[in-house]
Amino acid sequence: MDNLGVFLQIIFWGLYAGCIYILLATGLNLIFGVMKIVNFAHGEFLMIGAYITATIFFISGINPYLIILLSMLALIGIGAVVERFCFRPILGTGKLNEIFLSIGLIYIFQNGAAIIWTDEWQSVKSPYDGISLPFGSLSIPLDYILIMFFTAAIICGLYLFLKKTTIGMQMRATSQNRKGAMLVGIDVERIDVISFGLGCALAAAAGTLWIVSGQIFNPYMGSIPAIKAFAIIILGGLGSIPGAIIGGLLMGLAENGAAFLLGGIWKDAISFVILIIVLVVRPTGLFGEKGD
Amino acid sequence: MHFKRDDMVKYGTVLAIVIALAIPFLTDSMFILNLLVIMLIFIIFASAWNLLAFSGQGSLGHAAFFGIGAYASTLIAANSGMSPFITIFLGAAVAAFVGILIGLTCVRLKEWFLAMVTFGFAIIVQTLTVSVLAPVTGGWDGIASSRLLSPSIPGYQLIEYYAVLVITIASIAAIWYIMKTRIGLAFLAIRENELEARAAGIDPVRFRLLAFALSAYLAGVAGALQIHHIGYLTPELYGVDNSFWPVTYVILGGLGTLAGPIVGTIALTIIWEGLKATGLTFGRYVIVGVMLILAIIFLPRGLVSLPEQVKDWLKRRKRKEPVREPADN
Repeated sequence: MDNLGVFLQIIFWGLYAGCIYILLATGLNLIFGVMKIVNFAHGEFLMIGAYITATIFFISGINPYLIILLSMLALIGIGAVVERFCFRPILGTGKLNEIFLSIGLIYIFQNGAAIIWTDEWQSVKSPYDGISLPFGSLSIPLDYILIMFFTAAIICGLYLFLKKTTIGMQMRATSQNRKGAMLVGIDVERIDVISFGLGCALAAAAGTLWIVSGQIFNPYMGSIPAIKAFAIIILGGLGSIPGAIIGGLLMGLAENGAAFLLGGIWKDAISFVILIIVLVVRPTGLFGEKGD
Repeated sequence: MHFKRDDMVKYGTVLAIVIALAIPFLTDSMFILNLLVIMLIFIIFASAWNLLAFSGQGSLGHAAFFGIGAYASTLIAANSGMSPFITIFLGAAVAAFVGILIGLTCVRLKEWFLAMVTFGFAIIVQTLTVSVLAPVTGGWDGIASSRLLSPSIPGYQLIEYYAVLVITIASIAAIWYIMKTRIGLAFLAIRENELEARAAGIDPVRFRLLAFALSAYLAGVAGALQIHHIGYLTPELYGVDNSFWPVTYVILGGLGTLAGPIVGTIALTIIWEGLKATGLTFGRYVIVGVMLILAIIFLPRGLVSLPEQVKDWLKRRKRKEPVREPADN
């Protein structure tokens, strides 16, 4: 393969990985925007979403791309429970508590999943496995294109939801000014639950798309992507959804570029190298306004 | 009982040390002795993490310093032929140096950012260990580490226990002293209100770095001790587990207190081994996770505050019982 081919290959891999990160980071951002909390256990929702999809797929055999909606619905429920019973009692008690609570959630979800589904690596076979579309000198698996399409569709759907629906507007109002939102009669606690649930649903979508594209998975799959998603929202600026999208794509590209240039082992570490550089140079992120 | 609080602390400390000294005479089991050594090491590790948290910096990557101390000490011991009892402190110095470097990138960061950077740092160190540094560190396979004491010495496990106990007590005493001096007060001031601390003439950057260095040093001592105790080290040391354990111990025991890490580590070790006896594997982690969340919500000052909480609760109950009880149910 020529140099251009390699370059395009890396770009495609980057875009594909970037899609997963965009979904995760957008979910984190949504939760952060409304509740001003960061859930380090966000990746565990990705993992649970992936397992729910896989389980339904193994039982019923229907097209996994269709199960994505079921998985997202299930995660809205799980997210609502976690918000109500774990995060709400500690809201406003200090930011370190959120981090520590997330560690507890990580323990529970990872090992709970290992009890239910064992900690063996598993995989799901996409119905489009092996189908590729020609693109110049290389061929792109159909699954990758579908994943990009689904990501775009979900993000557009979220955008419309936030812009057009009453709940979406209430969410934006709460995120801009919590006290003001309360004053105009918005039930902010209800909005918290909805935002947290939606954020988790986005994570479930990310998990589903990740495994449908043929990636193997186990109960510990979520931690690293979640931390990277967190790095992305710092890169893109806390609370900024366009920032999350651009940051997600950049992260996907940087990671695959680094894996190619420095070797696969650097794939995880490079995102933190970037993060540390950005934080040192520009602590508010690339697109962010000054944080609180 | 009409003990003063200070007296209670004094007697408690003496009692704890006496028990720690006496335990090897109460049991013959090498398994328990080994467990106790690891427990002591983790008390140092958790106390080190707690010291950093005391200055308002919650690290999620303390495994990095734990591991660096272990690797540095092992390599120094292997190349110079010095006794592990000396290299432990040299290796820890390397960890402290790296701690200052990472502290430099963190001084302007707070809460999540700091947690993120430290977490990422542990992954970067692990990656370096298995890639660029692999010729020295043995990559994923790891390397053998010289033992604290040769197993051929009769009763070496007993000597090792007392050696580790002495280092643990010395570490805790050092932390106690630091917390009592102006340095500790400066940490506290920065944690509570950085702006006011600055107005009072405290340079937050300097004290943050100092906290990082001290904490990394003690974490390095713990890591090196553990590795010389086991006799083998792998990059698994840098794993997330090792970063999360000290946090769990400290939160359960009581964040920001001297006794917190000790109480937390002992309590959790007992629970952990007890659950092991019931044959749980993943279930143990789930239970620890639930305990952690319950502690954060219902016992935010940890197990060390439990007696006070119970006393409070009893007092309130006694006062309100006749009026409130029927209405409540």
